[in-house]
Parts: sequence; structure tokens; C-alpha cells
Amino acid sequence: MSMLRSSLLRRGEPAWQRRLPVGLAALAALLLLYHLFGQSLGEFPVAWNLQLREPLDAFKKWLVGSRSMNPLFLYGFDPLSGGVEWVIRRAEEFLLWLPWPTVGSVLFWVGLRVGGVQLGLLAIGCLGFMGGVGLWDASMQTLALMVASVSIALLVGIPLGIWSAHSDRGEAALRPLLDGMQTLPAFVYLIPVVLFFGIGRVPAVIAAVIYAIPPAVRLTSLGLRQVSEEVVEAGRAFGSTPRQLLYKVEIPQALPSILAGVNQTIMMALSIVVIAALVGAGGLGTVVLKSLRQLKVGEALEGGLAIVALAILLDRLTAAVRRGDEAGRGAAAVRRGWVPEGAVKRLMFGWRALPSSVRRHGWLWGGLLWGSAVSALCWALGWVDFPKEWNLSLAGPVDAAVRWAQLHLYRIGESGFGTGPVSDFMSLYILAPLRQLFAELLPWPALVLLAAAAGAAVGGGWLGLASGSSLLLLGALGMWQGAIDTFTQVVVAVLHVSVIGIPLGIWAARSPWVDRLLRPLLDLLQTIPTFVYLVPVIMLFNLGRVPGVIASVLYALPPLIRLTRLGIRQVDETAVEAATAFGSTPHQLLTKVQLPLALPQILLGVNQAIMMVLSMVVVAGMVGAQGLGLEVVDGMQNNRMGQSVEAGLAIVVLAVLLDRLTQALARR
Amino acid sequence: MGKSQIACRNLWKIFGPTPERVAAEITAQRTRAEILQTTGHVLAVRDVTFEVAQGEIFVVMGLSGSGKSTLLRCLSRLVEPTHGTVLVNGEEVTGMDERQLRQLRRHKMSMVFQRFGLFSHRRVLDNIAYGLEVQGMAKAQRLARAREILELVELTGWENHYPHELSGGMQQRVGLARALAVDPEILLCDEPFSALDPLIRRDMQNELLRLQKSVRKTIVFITHDFLEAVRIGDRIAVMKDGELVQVGTPEQLVAHPINDYVREFTRDVPRVKVLTARSVMRPVHAKDLLIGHAIAIDTTLEALIPLTVDNEAGLAIVDEQDDLVGFVDRRAVMLALAERGAGS
Repeated sequence: MSMLRSSLLRRGEPAWQRRLPVGLAALAALLLLYHLFGQSLGEFPVAWNLQLREPLDAFKKWLVGSRSMNPLFLYGFDPLSGGVEWVIRRAEEFLLWLPWPTVGSVLFWVGLRVGGVQLGLLAIGCLGFMGGVGLWDASMQTLALMVASVSIALLVGIPLGIWSAHSDRGEAALRPLLDGMQTLPAFVYLIPVVLFFGIGRVPAVIAAVIYAIPPAVRLTSLGLRQVSEEVVEAGRAFGSTPRQLLYKVEIPQALPSILAGVNQTIMMALSIVVIAALVGAGGLGTVVLKSLRQLKVGEALEGGLAIVALAILLDRLTAAVRRGDEAGRGAAAVRRGWVPEGAVKRLMFGWRALPSSVRRHGWLWGGLLWGSAVSALCWALGWVDFPKEWNLSLAGPVDAAVRWAQLHLYRIGESGFGTGPVSDFMSLYILAPLRQLFAELLPWPALVLLAAAAGAAVGGGWLGLASGSSLLLLGALGMWQGAIDTFTQVVVAVLHVSVIGIPLGIWAARSPWVDRLLRPLLDLLQTIPTFVYLVPVIMLFNLGRVPGVIASVLYALPPLIRLTRLGIRQVDETAVEAATAFGSTPHQLLTKVQLPLALPQILLGVNQAIMMVLSMVVVAGMVGAQGLGLEVVDGMQNNRMGQSVEAGLAIVVLAVLLDRLTQALARR
Repeated sequence: MGKSQIACRNLWKIFGPTPERVAAEITAQRTRAEILQTTGHVLAVRDVTFEVAQGEIFVVMGLSGSGKSTLLRCLSRLVEPTHGTVLVNGEEVTGMDERQLRQLRRHKMSMVFQRFGLFSHRRVLDNIAYGLEVQGMAKAQRLARAREILELVELTGWENHYPHELSGGMQQRVGLARALAVDPEILLCDEPFSALDPLIRRDMQNELLRLQKSVRKTIVFITHDFLEAVRIGDRIAVMKDGELVQVGTPEQLVAHPINDYVREFTRDVPRVKVLTARSVMRPVHAKDLLIGHAIAIDTTLEALIPLTVDNEAGLAIVDEQDDLVGFVDRRAVMLALAERGAGS
């Protein structure tokens, strides 16, 4: 408190603003006393409800009913929907029409081209796994959804990025929009989309497009703005037209950043495409969701691992494109002697004789030729569908393992250890009491005042007012209970993430071998889409709140570890040297120099962890974790759109509130 | 001196939100600092007038912030002048539309940059061919031309490397080659050697002079290094606070600096290499003994000194037409070395 106080004084705010948080907190305490020893303040008054539910349901009914007459649908959503459907269907038909060895060998070719032999083999391995667990068709369906959503997202996002790079006004207009879009959990995007596009694959793609556009816009714009001014000037000085400047200078110079955007767009689209199982998108997500609900853990794991395989495949391929330059690692593979010199060229019936345009795009033409040859061969031999007899069938052994785990790990002997007690402990002694504190012990007006006090303390009067009103809004949406539930889970998860993540980050910063050990693990964790985290956790901990919390801890750990490590590593070396020169012990160095200097980065990591935990806790609603997520799912599945929208809005309010509070804290 | 290729008349550049309005308010008495303080506008170039002859190396020398880079960019309108005219071969650059301006930049004027401004995503050869590429020249043709230029700057063998694989000096050779590839009449050089090590810088200066012998371009060369200006410039313009302080040959500047500001720069100049008989000689007196060889007027002090040592009486100086124009004795040489030449 004294540190907080002193930093408040430093900022030279008026006296009333300094006293505001204290006053609000005192008022909350008075209310608590009154609530406990006087009259109960009861639940959030029903009379204050905004009553959105019925009008929204009526609106939905009217929308569905008037679909065939409403010009908005006739000339807006329906053609759009039809177009998107057409793209998805063509992509899916094409991918399923190709014999499986063609898909494999073409992706191998691409891997070889952009990242060398290892990447080519990785691509084959990933695809082989998808086929091996019997999910080839589902994987191709998901891949088709990805092709449609990523290509649309890039077609919209990259031009927007170019515009925002060249126009300050454009950037000013887009920035708050993109900021807002990145604050919301993926899940929320599905709600309005379902309202206008119904259920199925089209809303999945549209939600994925909207969710995945921000990184494409941002990184394109950033890349273009970072091109050296002198290089752009050189382009102009030689008389380039604006178009020549863009295509010959600016875009090639910004390419690494743009490709980083493409990579992020792909990964974000994948996370939505998987969650969109909830609205009937089909593909791998549906496999996982169905199996989880029926507690067929083995099948869920197969689906989950197939998603991970797809994620790794897409991520590593695009990341390699980003790293590789024109020379390419494929050429490097030839140089290193993995592929015999000239073999590729001779393969193509006299390389020199080919027209120069073909020669220049040799890899492309070679890939096409190679793909066609493989396809022709496979059709001739009848190898079109992935052979059933190659089935890896993890489901049986996994189910057995889960049964074993439930029998033996749930309670290990008589010791009182095991996943059961852990789950019970967390549920009974952490989640339940905290929930009770927020839901029953503290009267709702006290919570509103406390939120206002927190806002005022970290960000001044206006943030205090906004925080307080956010809580009132949550109540008015009729989502007080759900929000409390979700908030409790977030608090518990974030505490765990911080307790585990910050020390690990510090350790990784100080010990190179811990760093080397953690890095591939974090890379893998960050490749996996939200939904998939739930699978192994549910295997061990069954359904409910606890697996949601555990999954969100796993999900949110990597960025906090990374930012903590980065923050400590970035501490100015002279400061460290100076502290060492004055004879600090390593411990003193850490607590007196490194940690204070790294604090902004660490707080940024906590901010990210909070946002990720929130999105995972909400996703966990899909498999029955109480809270706002469940409200959304419940509304969608029972055709109560009003309920979903209310819960969705509540998620948005909660997300924005937590984001602003922690960002204000990190700025101090 | 040949005919005028670039003419720059009353050129102004004012940075800020309302430059035209500020330009109207500026009077001769107000300094740049005052204008910045009262209007918030930066006066980068202030009423600059000069001409550059065909085939001449014209050096603009000034400290950082003197407006020299802005002045250079005004010539090709990479920076739009606020007021004034720029003529190239008598054509008014300041009145050109976008298309004409592009043609000018593609064919008549090229530029070399301080930090090289190379395209890091293109091979050396494609960097050199860039100007030809945007002109629309066919690929085979422009690459052949780029190879020729590569040979000229002695970088043969490096065509397929990327710029970051080259040393700084080599990168600037690529920058120079890129500018020469379009065979421009005018070369604009914005402190091209400032980012290089002193030894490499000297090499590159010699390289530029060597190239200039064969290509004979009109060069406007920006530098903050007076010695560099003296080494390569046919004429030097000293710039301060957006204005030209003095324009002249290196010898004129060294022998007759217009004020202390310019004199300060001339301090470190090796006078024996810059000064010639022209600025050392005194008028011929009746009692002078005109014996021995006559000496040409553009003989440097470096060559004069041993001659005066051997010749006690002094030396007669003749101009290009072999007319007697002056006389140099030991006293004159000594005074010139002591910075108190015949003129001062």
C-alpha cells in the first residue's frame, strides 16, 4: 500500500483522487458489516435487469422468419453466405478428391522447399498421424475450413494493413477496432455470427475470418512502416511509380513481418475453426467435442492430437517460409548433398530446354508435376482413401489407460494423493470458498464499490467509475452469478499461473539449460489451440470447473514465462554490472535490480495470462464448466439466442474490465 | 567551365503546418532560431541560389542541421520546395507534374545515399538494375547493362550476393553502380562516404574521382567534411542555418574565406596542396628580375616551394595565354603558409 501511495503522490494527482480508493473501500467495508450483522442486502435486484432476453429472442425469431424477404439477407448475408459456402465446398471436395499420397507428397515438397528435409518429413509425419487415427476425412474438412477462412482473412487483412501503413488517418481509425478485437475471447465471435448466418460451416469461417484478421492487418502495417525511410526514398529517387514502389520495394522489404502476420492469422483461425464445432462446423473439432461430451476420452484424444498435428504442420511450414529467403533451404539441401546435385533438374527432362519462366519457378512447376505424377499413379493403383488397415487406433489403449488412471491415479493407494484428491481439494478448498466469498459473503454493492476502488487506485477516477459501472452492467445483463463463477475461476487460475510462471521465467532467464529445455515445450504449448488443452485434462480430472482451471493454467503459462524471462534478460547490462560491482549477492541482484526493472514486462505477461485464462475458462463451458461460457453454450444449444447474447456481452464486459485494470497497473 | 546544367534560384524550404504563411512573414533580420521559437516552423533552406556547370563536381558542405540534405532533395523534389525554382537543362523542375518528374528521376538524375539505401531483398545485380527495371527495360538487357557497371565499380563476382554480405565500402560501390546504371546526366550524392571508415572513405573518394574521369557526370555532393569537399570538389558551397555562406573553388575558400565561420573550416586544410600560384603571387614590380622559366598560374604551393628554394630572385608567373601576370618570391610563399597570403 505504501508503494502504491507513493507512486500516486508522484503523479501529482489532486488530493481527492488519492483518497477516492480508500473511501470507496471503507464504504464497501461498512456495507459488508451491515450485510453481516444488520439486514441482508440480497441478490442483485431483478428489477434492474435490462430485459434484453425477450426482445433478442423475438428479434432472432423475426430474423429467421423474414429471411426470405428481408433485403439485408437477400442482398447481403445470403449471397455472402453462399459465396463462402462455395469456397469451402470446393476446397473440401478438392482435398478429398486428391488421393492421400498426393496431399502428403505435395506437402513434403513444400516442406523440402521452405525448410529442408526434416520439415518435409515432419509434414508427412503429421499427415500420416491424421490418417493413422482414422481422421483423414475430418482433417481434410478442417483443412478446407482453414483454406477458406485464411484466404479470406488475408485478402481483406493485407490490403487493410497496406492502407493503414500509408494513411495515418486509416491507422487511427483501425487501431481501436483492432485493439478491441484482440481483447475479446475467441468464443465470443461465434455469437453474433450465428445470429446472422445460422449454424454450420459458414458462420465458423466468418467468425474465424473476423477473429484472425487483426494480426494480418497489424503486422502488414507494422512491417511497411518499419521499412527504412532511406530505402523508400531510394525507390522514389529512381522514378518508381507508387505501384512499383509498393510491389518492388515496400512489400518485399516488409515480407518477414507480413509472413509473421500470416502465420498468426493461420493459428488464430485454427483455434476458432476448432471451437466452431459448437455451431456445427464439422471436422476435427466436432470429433473432439462429441467424444468429450460422451466421455469417450480415447477418441477425444485422437481428435485432439490430430488437431495438434495440423497446428504443428501449418505453424512450422509458415514459420519456415518466414525464415527462409529466396535462396531457400531446399537449395541448401542440394548443396549439403542430401539431394544429388542436378538430380532434380535432370528429372525434369532437360532443365535448360525449358522456358525461362518455368525455370524461374522451378519449385512450383516441379511440385505440380510431382503432385500430378503421384496422383496419376495412385488413381491407377486405386490408392485414394487412406488405408483403413493402417489404423493406429489410439482409442482402445488410451481408454484402457484412462480407466487405469481413474482406478489408480485417482487415489494412489491409501496415501491420499492422486488426481481425485487434487481435484477435490481445488474444488472444495479453493474454488468453492472463493466463490462463496464473492457470491454470498460479500454483498453485491460492496463488490461494485471494491471494483470502483481498484479502478480508481490503478487508473484514477474515470477508470474507477468505469469499473464500478461494468459490474453494475454485469448484473443488469442478468449474468451476476455466471460472471462471479467465471471470475472466481479466472482468479484461481491466474494465481496458479503467476506462482508457477514467474519463478520459471526467472529460472529460465538465469540458467541457459533450463531455457533450452523449456523453449521447445513452450513452442509446442503455444501451437495448440485452446480447445485441445481440455482433452488430456479431462482424461485425468473428469468434467467440471477444475479441468477448466487446470487447462487454462497450462494455456496461459507460456506467455508469462516468456515475458518474465525477456524482462529479466532485457535489464540493462550496465545496471547488472554496477550492482555486481557494488558486491550484490545473486539474490540481492535479483530482488533489488532485475525484478524491479523487469516489472513492467512481467505485469504485461500477467495481463496476457489473464486474458488467455479468461478465454480458456469460457471455452471450458463447452464441456460443462460453470460460468458465462456454459450460459453461452446452453443458449445456443437450446435456441435461446437472448441468453447467449447476454452471456457473450457479459464476457466482453469482463474481458475489457480485466484488461484495462491490468494494463493500467502495468503502466504505472 | 561548361554550360549550366542545374540552376537553383531563390529556393526556400520551410517545414511546419503552414509554411507559405510563415514564408511571407520572414524578414532578412530574423534568425532561424527566432523563427522556430515564434512560429514553430523549421527554416531548412533559406533563399538559396547557385548554378552547377555540366561535368562539374559541386560540393555542398555544412554541419548537421544546416539544411544541406534538404537542399539536395529539393533538386529532384523528393522534398517539395516551399518557394523558388529549380532548372535542369533549362527545364523547370519545380513546375513538372508527377509523370514528368518520374521521367526526370528515371533518366536524368540519380541518387546515392548516406546509409546506402540498398534493397536488402535484392541481389547486388538486381539492385543495380533497379532504375532500369522501373523504366521498363527488358530483363536480359538490363542485367547485361548492370554487369557492365558492376565491372566499372570493380565488383565482378559479387552479382549474386545480397547487400548484407558485402562490406560497407562495397555496399556503397553498389549504391554508386545503381546510380550510374541508368546513365544519368546528374548524380546527387547525399554524404555517400560518411558512414565509412576513414581509410575506406579515402579509397572511395579516389574511386569517385577515377570514375568521374571516364563518365563526366554533373555531381552535386553533400558532405560535412571540409577536407573531403576540398579533395573532390571543383567548387564548394558552405552552408549554415539554411543559407549559403560562401561559394567558390577550394582555393578561393582557403585563400579568401569570407568570414571566421569559413576560416575555421579551412584551418586543417593542407594549404600546400590547395593553394596555387594564383593566390600566392603578387603584382610584378619593375625591379623584379625576370630570369629563368616562367611558372604556370595553377602550380600548387607544394610544387612552388622547391622552386623558390632554388631560385633566390623569385619566379615569374604566367597565365593560360602565357602572359605575365604575377611574381612569386620566398616571402610570398612564407606568408601564404602562415595564412597571411597576398590577399589577406
